[in-house]
Amino acid sequence: MAKQFEEHGHHVIPTRTLAINLAWLMALMVLTIVAARVTHFLPTMPGNVVAMSIAIVKAFLVVAIFMGVKYTTNLAKLFAIGGFVWFLLLFGILIDYFSRPWEPVKGWEPLPSTSLPRTPGVDE
Amino acid sequence: MAEHAAHHHEPGEDVVFGQYETIEQQRESYIVGMWTFLVTEVMFFGGLFLVYTLYRWKYAEVWHGMSLHLNFWLGGINTAVLLLSSFSVAWAVQRAQVGDTKNQIRLLWFTVACACTFLVIKFIEYREKIVHGLYPDWAYQGLPDVEFGPSRLFMSLYFAMTGLHGVHVLVGIIVITTLIFMTKAKAPSISDYIPTEMVALYWHFVDLVWIFLYPLFYLIPA
Amino acid sequence: MSATATTTARAHPEKNYLNADHTIASWLLTTDHKRIAVLYLISVTFFFFIGSIAAGLVRLELTSSQGLLLTSEAYNKMFSAHGVVMIFFFLLPSIPAAIGNFVIPIQIGARDLAFPRLNLLSWYLYIIAGGLILFALAGGGFDAGWTFYTPLSSLYSDTQITIALVAIFIAGFSSIFTGLNFIVTVHKMRAPGMTWFRMPLMVWANYATSLLMMLGTPVVAITLFLVVLERTLGIGIFSAEIGGDPVLFQHMFWFYSHPAVYIMVLPGMGVISELISAFSKRPVFGYHFVAFSSLAIAGLGFLVWGHHMFISSQSVYLGVIFSLITFLVAVPSAIKVFNWAFTMYKGYVEFKTPMVYAIAFLGLFLIGGLTGLFLAALDTDVHLTGTYFIVAHFHYVMVGSSTIAFLGAVHFWWPKMFGKMYNEFWGTLSAIVIFAGFNFTFFPQFILGYLGMPRRYHYYFFEPAWEVYNVMSTMGASILAIGFLMPAFYLTASLLNGKKAPQNPWGAKGLEWEKAASPPVTFNFSEPVVVTEPAYNYPSADRPGGAMVHQLDQLDEDIEKLEGD
Repeated sequence: MAKQFEEHGHHVIPTRTLAINLAWLMALMVLTIVAARVTHFLPTMPGNVVAMSIAIVKAFLVVAIFMGVKYTTNLAKLFAIGGFVWFLLLFGILIDYFSRPWEPVKGWEPLPSTSLPRTPGVDE
Repeated sequence: MAEHAAHHHEPGEDVVFGQYETIEQQRESYIVGMWTFLVTEVMFFGGLFLVYTLYRWKYAEVWHGMSLHLNFWLGGINTAVLLLSSFSVAWAVQRAQVGDTKNQIRLLWFTVACACTFLVIKFIEYREKIVHGLYPDWAYQGLPDVEFGPSRLFMSLYFAMTGLHGVHVLVGIIVITTLIFMTKAKAPSISDYIPTEMVALYWHFVDLVWIFLYPLFYLIPA
Repeated sequence: MSATATTTARAHPEKNYLNADHTIASWLLTTDHKRIAVLYLISVTFFFFIGSIAAGLVRLELTSSQGLLLTSEAYNKMFSAHGVVMIFFFLLPSIPAAIGNFVIPIQIGARDLAFPRLNLLSWYLYIIAGGLILFALAGGGFDAGWTFYTPLSSLYSDTQITIALVAIFIAGFSSIFTGLNFIVTVHKMRAPGMTWFRMPLMVWANYATSLLMMLGTPVVAITLFLVVLERTLGIGIFSAEIGGDPVLFQHMFWFYSHPAVYIMVLPGMGVISELISAFSKRPVFGYHFVAFSSLAIAGLGFLVWGHHMFISSQSVYLGVIFSLITFLVAVPSAIKVFNWAFTMYKGYVEFKTPMVYAIAFLGLFLIGGLTGLFLAALDTDVHLTGTYFIVAHFHYVMVGSSTIAFLGAVHFWWPKMFGKMYNEFWGTLSAIVIFAGFNFTFFPQFILGYLGMPRRYHYYFFEPAWEVYNVMSTMGASILAIGFLMPAFYLTASLLNGKKAPQNPWGAKGLEWEKAASPPVTFNFSEPVVVTEPAYNYPSADRPGGAMVHQLDQLDEDIEKLEGD
């Protein structure tokens, strides 16, 4: 039976590929610790960027090789990508916090109190 | 009721449940179902990551200070343990695909061992924090060198996120152990590699969450 | 096993899913999607009546500007109970889990859903959650509304909020599992020849709904879970006093709960497509537009959560964007309404009970949808938000559309589900009474809202002029209650001594009418199904969109090819 479904395109990932992937993941882990804690040479923003980039690369390696997305059907790929896209969409909530400091909007400031009450004809 | 073809199962034969036409259709359905579930899991943790991002952005300095109080060596060891377990479970799937049940079970046991190690180390970390009065409830004492409120917020998220991740690890241990015993008992519903693949997908997801949690809590730059 | 089956077969020559086995265990441990649908139908009806009792008390209380029989606290608990029970325990599972569960596998020619045991688990989760919510109500109720805004829910209220939140969390997973099952079923279980563009629109609508369930529900689950953590373990995430942000709760809550509105209404739209086509004997006008508009509504539904927060300190820039996107949702909704109207045009319209419900839906959805535009506009919303205008608007969508679509679906598929016909006169009458009672109840609330009556207020002694509208609304609610009780009687009567239903009582197209018996057998079809024609293939000389059919069949093939790789 095993042979039969290999023919149907179910990819058996060689042990070597898995081991190399593990080695990469371990190396990246060491790299991220060294970058953040041992050397302390990175300031805030680059530090964040480096730490998150490494995490994303690691995540990509796990998803692509260990979870086999690289070898799987288009439908599974679609779900993997879809999950990621919606995860990002959720972060759209942050736009609110990002744009709050831009207020008050230019031209939308409340009218100064001396101009109230409005008299007909003055506004035109 | 002939609901499940499982009743007429002969050893070594694939089991196709009554609602499916072919074994291929059944396999694909299970894998698609698992991916769908993982998408919901991504959104589930996504909410927490969103909360984290907002507060980290707001209180970057305080959180850096708090991050220094977490033991990044223990966290690092735990990362290595989980990466290793991810590797072993992927290998177990490969063994299951070629029908090498003996090594498959060995590798699954190794994965369970890694998961248990992870939980033991996590427990040591939690105990240390609680002993130092850093459990973020109303009795929270804070640390002399960092601002009180945001530091409690940091510990709140630390316990909420790693706690929820820990629950997932625990569920993983239960599921993998169940799989091992069902494989050993040659349960009819475990006739091919698909159950192992599904469990493995779940376990990789648990690993994936930790890959992000580790730098986000233990390695916050100044 | 097989011995029992043979005896049963001999005793009942027409064996179907209802009489296949009679033990209680065969119902409670069933994996048959049709039986689970019946279990859901019974349980959602039960919760509908619980929620209605709470609604009745709220309406009764509001007939007087001074308050009548409830304390303010009890009043708060009453509208919270009404909201939570109706939304999480009736509207969300009603059409997908009760109706969709029954018809979707049959409509695509499958023997069952992809994961029958998961389906049963999802019903049990629903029952556990329902039990918990009844426990919370019996233990004193909860008073933070169905929205559970922090810090009221996390810091101030000492009612049974924790139990209620855990119940909603569990109900959320029940909903996720139903959605997951539908997605996999639609992708993998279609019968040979049942391409994507031959699927009935009910299936398209439920597929879109399932996407929403799968992508949105986990977010609200974790949000409510964080409030539970704060109440039980002291882990404060949204607490302002330690630097947390209570508004973040609203963002995360509405990130799900706005799409949840479409979880409630999209399956209803699917039902209406079926009903209008079946009782006009014409294919749905612009099938592909209706199908894609479901997906468009699902997609846009995720981009408009902020329109619930125009006055919640949300940034003005974001408010403008949300306002614009909210207007866009009107486009796919309007596409559906126009297409339904055109389906009836020059059709052989029969005013059977389900069709009367469908036409009631059209009118009420139109009002519900158009008043939504007042609320989508940033500055009218500032005046109308938090008033009875909003209450009237969402009841027009949730009751006027979803609940009426649910009743239409029950009447349409009732002969298929139970093999019995009901009394057509009482059926039509109930639809008319509900339509009249509904408008009588909720139209005055638009006026009240415009006059400025805030929602969730117990007293309004400061403005006695509102009393007349409130009394009108309560009188309407009484008519509505009679309307809702009528089906309970004549449908029960139909079960007991209704006329036996033929396989296709409506002369409708679709696998469930043409290939499955009434009621269907355990695995739905007695012989394998092969689909050879498009959906709603009614004999009609002037079928619209005929020229496009070839191109879309080509598109179907391409999709199949892509999925296979």
